[in-house]
Amino acid sequence: MDRAIVVDNLVKKFEVTEKAPGLTGSIKSLISPKKKIITALRGISFAVQPGELVGFIGPNGAGKTTTLKILSGLLYPTEGFVGVMEFDPWKRNPEFLKQISLVMGQKNQLWWDLPAIETFELNRAIYEIPTRAYSENLKELVELLGIGKLLNTPVRKLSLGQRMRMELTAALLHKPKVLFLDEPTIGLDIIAQQKIRDFIYEYNTKYGATILLTSHNMDDLTNLARRVIIINDGRILYDGAFEELITKFAKEKLIKARLSNENNISDLERIGKIKKLSFPEVVLSVPRSAAAVAASELLQNFPVDDLTIEEIPIEEVIRKAFKGGSGK
Amino acid sequence: MRKYFHIFKISFEEELAYKWNFILWRFRNVLQIFLTYFLWSTVYSDPTRQIFGYDRTEILTYVFGIMIVRALVLSAKAMSVGNDVASGDLSNYLVKPMNYFKYWMTRDIASKALNLIFASVEFAVLFIILKPPFFFQKDFGVILAFLVSIILAMLIYFLILFLLGSIPFWVPEIGWGSHFLVTVVIVEALSGSLFPINILPEVLQSIILATPFPYLIYFPVQVYLGNITGWALFGGLLIAISWVGVLWTFLNVVWQKGLKVYQSFGG
Repeated sequence: MDRAIVVDNLVKKFEVTEKAPGLTGSIKSLISPKKKIITALRGISFAVQPGELVGFIGPNGAGKTTTLKILSGLLYPTEGFVGVMEFDPWKRNPEFLKQISLVMGQKNQLWWDLPAIETFELNRAIYEIPTRAYSENLKELVELLGIGKLLNTPVRKLSLGQRMRMELTAALLHKPKVLFLDEPTIGLDIIAQQKIRDFIYEYNTKYGATILLTSHNMDDLTNLARRVIIINDGRILYDGAFEELITKFAKEKLIKARLSNENNISDLERIGKIKKLSFPEVVLSVPRSAAAVAASELLQNFPVDDLTIEEIPIEEVIRKAFKGGSGK
Repeated sequence: MRKYFHIFKISFEEELAYKWNFILWRFRNVLQIFLTYFLWSTVYSDPTRQIFGYDRTEILTYVFGIMIVRALVLSAKAMSVGNDVASGDLSNYLVKPMNYFKYWMTRDIASKALNLIFASVEFAVLFIILKPPFFFQKDFGVILAFLVSIILAMLIYFLILFLLGSIPFWVPEIGWGSHFLVTVVIVEALSGSLFPINILPEVLQSIILATPFPYLIYFPVQVYLGNITGWALFGGLLIAISWVGVLWTFLNVVWQKGLKVYQSFGG
C-alpha cells in the first residue's frame, strides 16, 4: 500500500429545499417546495501517503468537511473515485471502520450524562480492542492529554477544551491508521488550541498515522502541516508545501497593538504598512522576516498596552492564491 | 455480541444517572396505577354492572393489562432516530464498526428491562395493598401466545419508529410532527389503548385488524384475557408476523436510499 488516500475527480451535489423568509415563505415552501442543487465539490483530486499530515484549509462552506465526510463513509459521492487504505468508504466495511476515526469539533460522541471513562469502555467493546492494548492506549492518551483527573467527571461538567481532549481520546483508543479531524480547535482558547496541536503532532510522528485536518485557523497549520490543500468553492486552489504557500502568498504578518495614547501616532508608518488605525487599535502589516524586530521597535517607541503578532487571515491568503492562479 | 451487551449496560447506567428524574418517573407510574384503579372501581361500584360486556374483574384486568403492555411496547428509545438523522448525530454511529439498528434495539431492550423490573416491584406492592380482583391466566399455551404477541408488538413498534425516523433524510425539518401524528393519534386510537377495538362496528374492526396498530396493544391484551383463541389467535399472530416482515423489508429499502441522500448536518 503506497497511498493511504486516493481521491479522483470527486463531485458531491446536495439537494436542498429553499425557503423564503418569514411565515408566508414557510407556507409557500410547504405547498410547492423549491428544490435547488448545490454543488459542494466540483471534481477534486489528490492523494495522501501513509503517515502524512495534511491540512485542509478554506473558508466556511468551501467543501472541506464534505470531503472528510465522504472519506469516512458518511456521505455518498455523486461522482468520482474515493479510496481509503484500498477500501471504498461508502461500504463502511467494519475492517475499514476499525482503522479510521473522525473527530468533529462541533459534534460529540461522548455520553453526556456519564463520565467519559464509560464512553471509552463502550468504544473498547465496539472496536473490539483487546483489554491489554486498551489499558495501554488509554494510559498513554491520558498522560499525553493530561486528563487523568477528569476521567470520572460527568461529561456535561467538563469545559469545552477538556471535552475536546476526551473526544480525541475516545476517537484514538483503537489506534486508527487514518485520522480525520474536522476543526479540532474550533471554539478553544489559545492554550487549549496549543495543547491539541501538540498532541496531534505527537500522535502523527509517534504512530505514523495519516492525518487529514481541516481548519480555517492558519495557526493550526503553521505548527502542524507540512502540506496543505486549499479548497474554495469546491475546487482545489493549491496543493503543496506549506512553506511555499507562505513564501508565495503570505509574505506578511500582522501586528495588532492597543495604544494608551495618541502620541507620535503618525510615526507608525515607519514600522510597517498601516492596515487599520482607529485609536486605540492599530493593525500593521510587516514582512514576515521583520516581524519580531518591528514588534520590539513598536514596544520601545510607542505607548503600547497590548500587542499580538498574527498570521494574516486565511481568507486573505486564499484571495491571493486565487489571484495568482492555482499554483500547483 | 459483546458490543451490544456493553451498550445494554451503559444504557442502564444512563437511565439511572439522574436519580431524581428516575424516582419521579416511578412515582408517576405508581400514581397512575392508583388513579386508574380508583376510577374504574368507582365506575363499577355496583358489582353486577357490565359495560361493553366487561364486568369489574375483566375491565380492571383489561385496564391494567393495557398499562403493562403499553409500558413494555410503547416505551421505546428508538424515538430519537429521527432526531439523530435530522441533527446529523447519526454520523457518530455510522463511523463506528457497529450496527445502528442493533444499537437502538439494544437500548430499547435495556430500557424495557429496567421498566419491567421496577414495574413488577411496584405492581406487586400495590397488589398486596389494594387486593384488586384480577384475572390471572393459567393456561400455559395462552401465556406462551401472549409472550410471542408481545415480542411481535415490540418489533412492530420498533420498525414503525425507525421508519418515521427515516423521514428526516428527505425532510429534515419535520421534527416531531410526524411522531405526534403517528405515535399519539394513530397508535393511541388504533392500538386499542384508549378503547377496546371490539366495541367498534364489524366493518371498521376488520379494517383496523388488517393494519399493524392493533397488534401493538389490543391483540396481546386480548390474547392474555383468553378472548382470542384457536384460528383467530393463529391468524392474528400470522398477520403480526407478516407486518414485521413487510415493515422490515420496507425499512431496509428506505434506509439504503436515505443514507445516499444523507447530508450529515452540523460539524
